[in-house]
Amino acid sequence: MKGHRALWHNQAILREAVFSLNGNLKELGRLAAEVSRFCRENALTEDAEFQLNLVLEELFVNTVRHGGCEGVENSARVRLRAVSDGVVVEFADRGRPFDPTTAPAADVNAPLAERPIGGLGIHLVREIMRDLRYERAGEWNQLRMRRPLAHIDTGEQPIS
Amino acid sequence: MIQLTEETRAGWCIVGVRGRVDAESADELEAALRAAIGANGKVAANFAGVDYVSSAGLRAVIQAARAAQGKSVEFTICSMNAHVKKVFDMSGLHQILHIQGELPC
Repeated sequence: MKGHRALWHNQAILREAVFSLNGNLKELGRLAAEVSRFCRENALTEDAEFQLNLVLEELFVNTVRHGGCEGVENSARVRLRAVSDGVVVEFADRGRPFDPTTAPAADVNAPLAERPIGGLGIHLVREIMRDLRYERAGEWNQLRMRRPLAHIDTGEQPIS
Repeated sequence: MIQLTEETRAGWCIVGVRGRVDAESADELEAALRAAIGANGKVAANFAGVDYVSSAGLRAVIQAARAAQGKSVEFTICSMNAHVKKVFDMSGLHQILHIQGELPC
């Protein structure tokens, strides 16, 4: 590309993964493989890989089961970037408008018999991620958030 | 993708679970746990081989625990790795499920 400048001087921008998913739960295997490769390339911990995979599964499955994305090609786009204080995750989907930052959370203190079955996924996304920002742009839901490098309560050490 | 096994030991039906319990495989787990709960008085899910769980997996376990409660069946989940345990803890499930470090027998 003419006028394109090499980005080698900025590693934070280079260390990224971008991929699309079709609206089908069979894509979960590919999602896991993409997250695994990204984490390996960036020397992230198993904990980071597990939680990034979890957050992306919850968001993606919601779009397929409740957002109307079932059977839609390239219904979701994911961008992962390793930055100095964690991983910035951007998740966009073409489902019906849904703001996970304001959606009601599951009551995680309810007794077994009254424990709601919905809302657990969104609860986990909010537990793990920080700085969640949502906007609706045209036909896309766009969510941007960050997983801190040394996560609260994990005792995980940041990799220098 | 998960692999399931079942064996009986010292009065316990032990359901062995291996692999990834995600939105695709959670129904299979729930069906296996419900079947075991329907046919035994004491059921332990051995999670030692589970290396990933999402909310779909948590739901499968919650539903199984409810079924067990309704039938007065003893139901416990054992031997989770630290990553999996953290997901249960973050969801407050350690308060309502019988989670054990090791198998009961």
